[in-house]
Amino acid sequence: MNQKYTLFFVILIFVLVLPSCNRNQHEKNDRIVVAIVADAQSLNPLFAFSFQEVNISELLYLSLVQHEWNDSADDVRSYPMAAKEWKWNNDSTSVTVNLRNDINWRDGYKLTSEDVVFSFDLYSDPDIQSRFFGTFNKFYLDKDQHIDLKKSFVINNPYSLVINFRPHSNPGLFDIDIPILPRHVFSKFNRKQFAQLEKGNDSVTCGPFYLYKWNPTQSIILRADEKSFLHKPATVKELIFKVIPDYNSRITQLKNGEIDLMENVRNDQLRELTAINKIKISAVKGREYDYAGWNNLDPAAFNNKKDSPNKLFSSAKVRIALTYAINREEILDEYLGNNGALAVGPVAPIFKDSYNYNLKPIPYNPEKAKELLAEDGWKDLNKDGIIEKNGAQFSFILNYAGGNPRREFAATIIKNNLKAIGINVQAEPMEPGVLMEKIFTHKLNAWLAGWTVPIPIDLKPYWFSDLIQAPFNLAGYKNPDVDKLLDKIDKSKAGNDKNILYRQFQDIIYQDNPVTFLYWIDNIVAHSDRIENFRITPLGSVHHCWNWSVKN
Amino acid sequence: MKRLLSSLIVLFLMVCFVFILLRISPGDPSLKFVSPELNPVLAQKVKDSFGLNRPIPEQFVQFISNIFSGNFGVSYDFRKPVTEVISNHLPFTIIFSLISFIIQLSVSYFLAIWSIKKMNGFVDRLLSKTSLVFYALPSFVIGVFLIFIFSEKLHLLPASGLSSYDVDSLSAGERYADYLLHMILPVITLSLGGIAVFYKYLRDNLDEIFNKMFILNLSAFGLSPKEITKKHVIPNAISPLISVAGVELGVLFSGALITEVIFGLPGMGRLTVNAILSRDYPLVVGCTFMSGLLIIICNLIADLLKAKIDKRLIRGMLN
Amino acid sequence: MNIRITNRWLLYSLLLLILIIRFGIVFNSFHLLFLFTKLIFSNYSVALGQIDFGLFDYFLSSVLIIILPAVILFKRKSFSFLDSSVSFASFSAMILFISFVFAPLITNTNPEFQKNISVTKLLPPLSSVNAVYSLKNLEKTASYFILKEKVVKNSYNDRLVFADSIKKDSVITYYQKGRPYLLSSSVPFNLEKDYVITKKFFLLGTDEFGRDIFARLVYGARISVSVGILSILLTFILGSLLGFFAGYSGGIIDSFLSHISEMFLSFPVIFLIILIIALFGNSIFSIIIVLGFSGWMSLFKIVRSEIIALKGKDYFLTAKLLGVTNFNLIFSEMLPVISASVIVNLIFQFGNVILAESALSYLGLGTGSIYPSWGSMIQSGQSYITTAWWMILFPGLALFFTLFMTNSLGNIVKVMFNPRLKK
Repeated sequence: MNQKYTLFFVILIFVLVLPSCNRNQHEKNDRIVVAIVADAQSLNPLFAFSFQEVNISELLYLSLVQHEWNDSADDVRSYPMAAKEWKWNNDSTSVTVNLRNDINWRDGYKLTSEDVVFSFDLYSDPDIQSRFFGTFNKFYLDKDQHIDLKKSFVINNPYSLVINFRPHSNPGLFDIDIPILPRHVFSKFNRKQFAQLEKGNDSVTCGPFYLYKWNPTQSIILRADEKSFLHKPATVKELIFKVIPDYNSRITQLKNGEIDLMENVRNDQLRELTAINKIKISAVKGREYDYAGWNNLDPAAFNNKKDSPNKLFSSAKVRIALTYAINREEILDEYLGNNGALAVGPVAPIFKDSYNYNLKPIPYNPEKAKELLAEDGWKDLNKDGIIEKNGAQFSFILNYAGGNPRREFAATIIKNNLKAIGINVQAEPMEPGVLMEKIFTHKLNAWLAGWTVPIPIDLKPYWFSDLIQAPFNLAGYKNPDVDKLLDKIDKSKAGNDKNILYRQFQDIIYQDNPVTFLYWIDNIVAHSDRIENFRITPLGSVHHCWNWSVKN
Repeated sequence: MKRLLSSLIVLFLMVCFVFILLRISPGDPSLKFVSPELNPVLAQKVKDSFGLNRPIPEQFVQFISNIFSGNFGVSYDFRKPVTEVISNHLPFTIIFSLISFIIQLSVSYFLAIWSIKKMNGFVDRLLSKTSLVFYALPSFVIGVFLIFIFSEKLHLLPASGLSSYDVDSLSAGERYADYLLHMILPVITLSLGGIAVFYKYLRDNLDEIFNKMFILNLSAFGLSPKEITKKHVIPNAISPLISVAGVELGVLFSGALITEVIFGLPGMGRLTVNAILSRDYPLVVGCTFMSGLLIIICNLIADLLKAKIDKRLIRGMLN
Repeated sequence: MNIRITNRWLLYSLLLLILIIRFGIVFNSFHLLFLFTKLIFSNYSVALGQIDFGLFDYFLSSVLIIILPAVILFKRKSFSFLDSSVSFASFSAMILFISFVFAPLITNTNPEFQKNISVTKLLPPLSSVNAVYSLKNLEKTASYFILKEKVVKNSYNDRLVFADSIKKDSVITYYQKGRPYLLSSSVPFNLEKDYVITKKFFLLGTDEFGRDIFARLVYGARISVSVGILSILLTFILGSLLGFFAGYSGGIIDSFLSHISEMFLSFPVIFLIILIIALFGNSIFSIIIVLGFSGWMSLFKIVRSEIIALKGKDYFLTAKLLGVTNFNLIFSEMLPVISASVIVNLIFQFGNVILAESALSYLGLGTGSIYPSWGSMIQSGQSYITTAWWMILFPGLALFFTLFMTNSLGNIVKVMFNPRLKK
């Protein structure tokens, strides 16, 4: 019996005493802890595939130019980073870039033009399969999409180089925006097995932060590089990305002060969080939207290499009726609260100049929906509660990714909305990997999904009729007028003309309603008031975090 | 020896089974490389370098020959050899499950002895009832409940993770305390169910043996009850427990999935499930192989132990 | 103490209770059944289109609630197992059984029903909400379709509006989130006759969609029980057939099957389940098949070893020598002997399956079906644990009691078949 009491007391002592000695660690004022959902798989910008990996790797490796969200114009502004200045030639086919000469790699080497050319070489190498592979179509390429280095680059001196583009390719600063890699480190690896060999070589960096420690599946610890030209005396000394997969744990730790920042806070927690003094909420208007996809093509026929219209969703009238029938306002109100907006098309309202303000969201009106469906021939003649046309019932399965609470919420409501107008719909969650594959191979009739609109706007891959050129035209939407517009947009230079084309495009999409656009989703970030100079933009929340400092 | 050989055959069959299951299933590992910002050719390139564009029989032959040279390939997600990825996750799982296993066994042992001493008394009945309760409580309910109480309401214990992020700056003692603190809730969550099972099993066994004839005989010989319990009843009750415990330990080693998910721990369970969900084929095969191997080893050890105890028993009886 | 509450009386009183409380519904469903039969004769094709699971469910449970007590009463002997006195396990088992069969009568609300989320979401237990029910165009004449609308509860209802408060003078104004709305219509209507202001009562509160948790709990029992029963059925068929086959024929078949079962035993079952569900979809059928398939090994071992033991027994050999055919041997000699351990194994397997199903739902891989499952309720309740404890407590309790019941039942049966264990 004695043994047991001893055991009990030992445990009791651990439970009571240890928390108290653990408490004081949060007093340290030189670090900020950011919650992330999953561990990074690579911090090398070559293989940083997720948004979060890109954001972290950009803190480690500098690019020639950096982008900043310009609130007043609501567009992206580029400013020099590793490049000191640049100059386009007269016909915009080549640019002379002068580099800063005060950038050092962590091991003392200088960042030079050689590094820049080497980086372009790596990024476009087909053996390496980097994140940017195949996107350098404005450069001179050889047959397997590798940049032709001789034609493309002229090195003037260690801190100056000329980059040549193909004629009429219309290049911009976004084309030279790649994080620069250290040549003296990465040139020694065999490119065929580069992805495996580069592991663990992320200590030689040039950014405002360097990788101090990476505890796999637990945390990524960055420290400020005091020698960096971006470093200021007040810059936060240590930045910790802590992996917390579970949403509720993130919220709990935010409240307990174990973390200082988390993204994608759900609306229903906002009231509780704002009540806590030390927590601030910042939101940024979204460039991410959810939509209900209606397959314009017939799935069975498509997979037999034939194109035939979908029996249910090929008519624009039906699709518009479905939009009328879905109570988007309720989903928005109840799930996103004030942190979202009804969508009318694929161009985000944050692009103020390109957005078409004449389009008003289709309101919730089940009566109107029934009317439209009846006009198209869908009526409930046999009184079984389900509408039919030519003897075929209007019934389908709406698939969505399991484990996504927002989609689950929407699916629950959409299902009941559509049942109420006599459509037999079943909402079924699907494992995300399977769902993705089935959507991409056009095997599903209807699904819920979302897109993040890229900056700058790029519409062709999503809405062009030719599915080879538009791999993300998942609904199989086809409209020659849209094709013409998209081709024109591709050829025109940014400015007013392009914006007019964008607005025309939105007009057609609005009338055709190829999918039901649900809503734009704001990113709500909750952070501790210890972080000063915090600014969230559509480019992300840790963007420019070398400006952060910690309040004392 | 024969047993070992047949176990290895079983393991091999299992790995082949998983391989075939993966190849005939929907889902595509290269979908991760399909996004609007990436070039569509990239996914094809990646698929090529994973060797997924070759016919399945060819892949299978390649796979088998690799297995025999101990090469499980390179994980698609981590871009590291599978063996390396697993060796990053395995130590945690082994330590975590051993701690939980030892706690399960020792606590249930103490409780069973305690309640058999007070057979049908208050303690016995109370323990029996509570063990039923904990047996019927799913671990995810326990875990959520514990986090709610100790982390959210009382702010006593951390809600998730293996350690604090600043664990490196702590002294050795503090670091140890930090790990311990993070482990309290997960270990409780993982162990309660097992304690209930082992307790029930042990208690029933003890009860049964007490009622057996030879115990009566022994007390007729004039041995003290204490001695009978210690020398005869307990060893007899433990030997059937060993094989149950062996199975349980094997299952623990393959990852306490639910507990790992709730507390965000870096164990084999989550590794395997994430590998399945992201279609990281080599890693899935590697993980199942590792789990199967551990289960088989645990069973073998249990068998050996049992044989040893039995021999001693036989000898003890003869004397 | 001669007064002993037997399970029989408990069952009667529970059924009677439902019958009294839901008499209106039972009556209406019978009326509907009558009209439906008439419809079959008058307009066959329309009637055919009417048959769906919801309607059938109401018919069946209304008929059963009358027939079941009668059958138990008249066939007293075959239901003698009900004559034991009530224990906690039998009580829980009965509640589970009744929820399974009479779900539509017990709750009278569709588990997926939700409307006006802003008003009805996250209501604590025992709360009620103001509602306006429109009777417009709902003539008193009991035509089939109107009655059907009254009986079969759908997941939507155009006639019902929930509101925070309702003001009635010359018009009806209702308030949602502080905003006033006017109940209006282009057609002139009679306020007194066409609209009823009522309250909707939520016994166990509502979830984040304003769905009735009590209804979801009761219908959730269907998922758990049917997944449990169907999977153990599959387990039973697979395990006992293979076990019998292996034990009976011996030799190479035996060693092959034993190896296969070894293989599945050394496979971490949860991964096998997740692997298959992740790869091949999570419909309720695939879950039943996977769960049923993953449990056959223990049963296989039991049956196989029992049969091998039996084969060596004297009376078996004698019977064989006496010329009893194999088939007869199996049914008259083997089945009674092995059934005890098989039943005990199946009962525990039932508990495991229910637990596994809810764990899968908790991981987000559960039955993506029309019915809620307890595991998924717990999972969604987890996010609301600080604000709406009832969302996680009740499904947690339901799951707990079910598992508890299965365990106790298993132990009781074990003792029943193995009197040696009885003290």
